[in-house]
Amino acid sequence: MTDHLQKEVKRETGEGTDLWRVILAPTIWAVHFLVCYVAAAIYCEKAGRMADLLPVRLIVGTATFIALAGLAAVFISLWKVRGLSSVNDDYNYAGNTPEERHRFLSHVALMLCVLSGVAILYAAFPALVLEVCR
Amino acid sequence: MKNEMAHRHGPDQDDPWIRAAQEARLSKAWETPGGWRYWSSVNNSEVGIWYIVTAFGFMLFAGVLGLLIRTQLAVPDNEFLSAETYNQVFTLHGTAMMFLFAVPIFEAVAILILPALLGTRDLPFPRLSAFGYWCFLIGGVFVCGSIFFNAAPSGGWFMYPPLTTKQGGIGADIWLLGLSFIEVASIAAAVELIVGVLKCRPPGMHINLTPLYGWYVLIVGGMILFAFPPLIAGDFLFEMERAFDWPFFDPERGGDPLLWQHLFWIFGHPEVYIIFLPSIALLAMIVPTFAGRPIAGYSWIVLSALGTGFLSFGLWVHHMFATGLPSISLGFFSAASEAVAIPTGIQIFVFIATLMLGKVVRSVPMLFALGALAIFVAGGLTGVMVAVAPFDFQAHDSYFIVAHLHYTLFGGMLFPLVAGIYYYYPLMTGYMMSRRLGVWAFWLMFAGFNICFLPMHLTGMLGMPRRVFTYPGDLGWNTLNLVSTIGAFVFAAGFLVFVFDALRPKSHAEKASRNPWKAGTVEWALELPPGAWGARTIPHIESRYPAWDDHSFMRRYDEGRFYLPDAEEGRREALVTSVLDAQPVQCMRVAGPTWITLATALCLAGVFIFATYHWWTATFISGLLTLCSIVYWLWTGTGEHPEKDEKAIGMGMTAPLYISGPRATGWWAMFITMTGDLTAFLGLIFGYFFFWTVHDQFPPPDIDGPGWTWPLAAGLLLCGSWVLTYGARLWNARGDMLLFRMALLAAVLLALAGIGALVMGPLAHRMDPTAHAYPAIVWALVLWTGAHAAAGVIMQLYCLAASFAGRLTPKYDTDIWNVALYWHFMAFTAFATTLVIGGFPLVS
Ligand code: HEM
Ligand SMILES: [Cu+2]
Repeated sequence: MTDHLQKEVKRETGEGTDLWRVILAPTIWAVHFLVCYVAAAIYCEKAGRMADLLPVRLIVGTATFIALAGLAAVFISLWKVRGLSSVNDDYNYAGNTPEERHRFLSHVALMLCVLSGVAILYAAFPALVLEVCR
Repeated sequence: MKNEMAHRHGPDQDDPWIRAAQEARLSKAWETPGGWRYWSSVNNSEVGIWYIVTAFGFMLFAGVLGLLIRTQLAVPDNEFLSAETYNQVFTLHGTAMMFLFAVPIFEAVAILILPALLGTRDLPFPRLSAFGYWCFLIGGVFVCGSIFFNAAPSGGWFMYPPLTTKQGGIGADIWLLGLSFIEVASIAAAVELIVGVLKCRPPGMHINLTPLYGWYVLIVGGMILFAFPPLIAGDFLFEMERAFDWPFFDPERGGDPLLWQHLFWIFGHPEVYIIFLPSIALLAMIVPTFAGRPIAGYSWIVLSALGTGFLSFGLWVHHMFATGLPSISLGFFSAASEAVAIPTGIQIFVFIATLMLGKVVRSVPMLFALGALAIFVAGGLTGVMVAVAPFDFQAHDSYFIVAHLHYTLFGGMLFPLVAGIYYYYPLMTGYMMSRRLGVWAFWLMFAGFNICFLPMHLTGMLGMPRRVFTYPGDLGWNTLNLVSTIGAFVFAAGFLVFVFDALRPKSHAEKASRNPWKAGTVEWALELPPGAWGARTIPHIESRYPAWDDHSFMRRYDEGRFYLPDAEEGRREALVTSVLDAQPVQCMRVAGPTWITLATALCLAGVFIFATYHWWTATFISGLLTLCSIVYWLWTGTGEHPEKDEKAIGMGMTAPLYISGPRATGWWAMFITMTGDLTAFLGLIFGYFFFWTVHDQFPPPDIDGPGWTWPLAAGLLLCGSWVLTYGARLWNARGDMLLFRMALLAAVLLALAGIGALVMGPLAHRMDPTAHAYPAIVWALVLWTGAHAAAGVIMQLYCLAASFAGRLTPKYDTDIWNVALYWHFMAFTAFATTLVIGGFPLVS
């Protein structure tokens, strides 16, 4: 009991990682997805079905780069928290303090970065292999 | 200092007489009205039960339709149903299952159990729940009833034009208007549930201690706000085409049927997850209880549920793989469809891990939970298959799809839901359901389901298309179909056992002891059967499973040693807390029984039903009545000035009785509603640019646009109105009443002028909305924005009146806070509309 009390960090209520921060990474995924889809849809509609996909592939590449860079920034800022639970030293975060809540939300946000990164790479993949609009 | 005082002078919870008096006051305040007034109840425990029973009623009805389908298909060349009747039957089957059962049952269950899970007594807006329920009931009866007049929709549950826009009769209108009406109920429930989870958790329940069900409800509520509104926008365009011949989906006049498919599936795919997640949420409550240990990986569930919620918005085109979109588009959506399997899988693995780490107790809810996982995994696997575009080209529109969709729906929704009903039945009624009947029901349902739907994979592979009313006998489909039909009836028998067990008179049934499943979560602290007041006291939460972790919890709960153990003023009360750490910020007075919810729902029903028959005068009158009843509702039921500023809420704390602005629940409700509204608006904007994408030249050169002068004027006027409304809020807060009222009055005038200018654009240029999709979409945007501005004017006038009546003062300023918030959204709408219709033609 006592050693976790020593570890107890004081944190003001309401302060730290909040829900907006948690959904930042998936929001980056959503924007990336929309940019890719809209760019491809408009380009292929306007340029015709036999058109070379190169411009779209460039846009997708750039968007992917920016999105991953954004994710990396979020990831690094959350990595600093990197706290295990202040109560049990695990990923369960069952303690009842603002600090624990902050660590919990940071962990969720961090893992969402990873998931969003994977989903972004998935979305970029078709642009890697396709060459014409068809 | 003050807290200590209140503590010392607080009631003495050691004294049984004092406690008995508290309980008497509580039950008086929360008493369910008797006799026919029962139907004026708004408390979650009544409305929740009505909601569940009604949704299951529609489910049974749709299930009978399913059996009719299977009867017709049992043998080749059957003449049991005619082709036309068959079309109505399968359309109504799909429609009712999805819109009248699968989605509403989420709202129903959540309304019923969420307050208990959060240890509170009611949701923040009980009247809104009741209103939503009445909308649902009336709309559902209207839609289902149509089949008895041979007037049911018959174009399939996703109503693809041009078939459905060219069809005569009123079937498609019934579908559209009935469902729009029910979407209103869904959005109302979303508002209620999101605010409930964010702002009404018990003190101490930091967001990492929230029951997983709460997380799922929050996520699904958020998804509803982004998924349903595009369909509302689509419905709006669709009905304008059917009623007034505005050619949004008619290719001959510049429209495009694919626009509908996009709008429908931007809604339709997330909807699948809106159905699935809340049912899985029930498993997240059931599994730990019967494994006898906390969930293994709380944070993993939260993050993967969030991830699923997001990714599910990137899948919609997988329903349109066969429409000839460029393959790169298919690629994006195929990839996302595969990606979503990751977070979905994590959730399933967490359940399995929890079961493996614990010692599983055998029980009926657990049986259904395991059956659900088995079925869902199978459905998920075929899902991964059809997400691969080339495979889908083959399987599209075949019975393979019918098999896939029922596997996901039964495994992801129906079985978990039945597990949840078995699990929470004692909490709702105080009785246990029969274990013996439960086991029978399970095996009949499980076997029947698989006998019915497993062969359909093969039937589909052999080439049988879906939505055919019969088939010739020489294609090798006969046996498979007959087996499916037998399975359907076995399933139905099992389901009837379940329904019988739930409804049978309970004189011989086993009474539930308290916490019958030995669960750890807070809802099981309730006494069974629960009193009308719900929670004896609003607990202070320190862990996820208080009943397991804290042995004095139940005693302190029963002795009312936490918050609000009393109803001193005879009022229904609940606590509002802060979002992240659940610190008490307000003691909220919750509304009691009323008829106004039913009356408003009836008036609104008039609008939708009369519009179906194109009786415009009656529609207009109903609209006016709806407006009056809403204003009456708000005027009499909200913004009350409490008799004192704050009160002791127990545990030595005091909380204010009145707050406004972003800390108050009303502000959040407005914010959430307007987010949904904004999404619908973006759906319309999407329509405009969709047309631009598919046309060589858009706006078409030979059709006059609204010009830029009138739109510019409209934009400036409406934004001026916004600035003044915002200023009015500040002036009111500063106590400058004259300036406040002048500003509001000027805002009203500017807004009215703005509406005029907005309409003048297309009017002055003689844009004919029936001629081409371009004028039609411009008019649609103008109509939307104008109607919203008109609503904004009514709100400004409401504030003005409230100010003169002394209801709206610098101290009690909720109304103007919320109206100013509305106008933030309004300003954006006006800005975007005028920019698009006035500005875009200049640059394209
Ligand atoms: C008694 C159990 C059920 C049976 C026997 C059954 C049977 C069927 C059959 C045979 C079809 C295909 C009709 C056709 O394509 O011609 C179908 C379609 C459908 N079913 Fe079910 N079903 C049952 C339960 C459910 C449930 C619980 C849901 C959803 C919650 C559901 C949702 C749907 C949907 C959305 C369609 C597509 C309708 C359309 O094509 O427009 N069904 N059902
Ligand atoms: Cu889908």
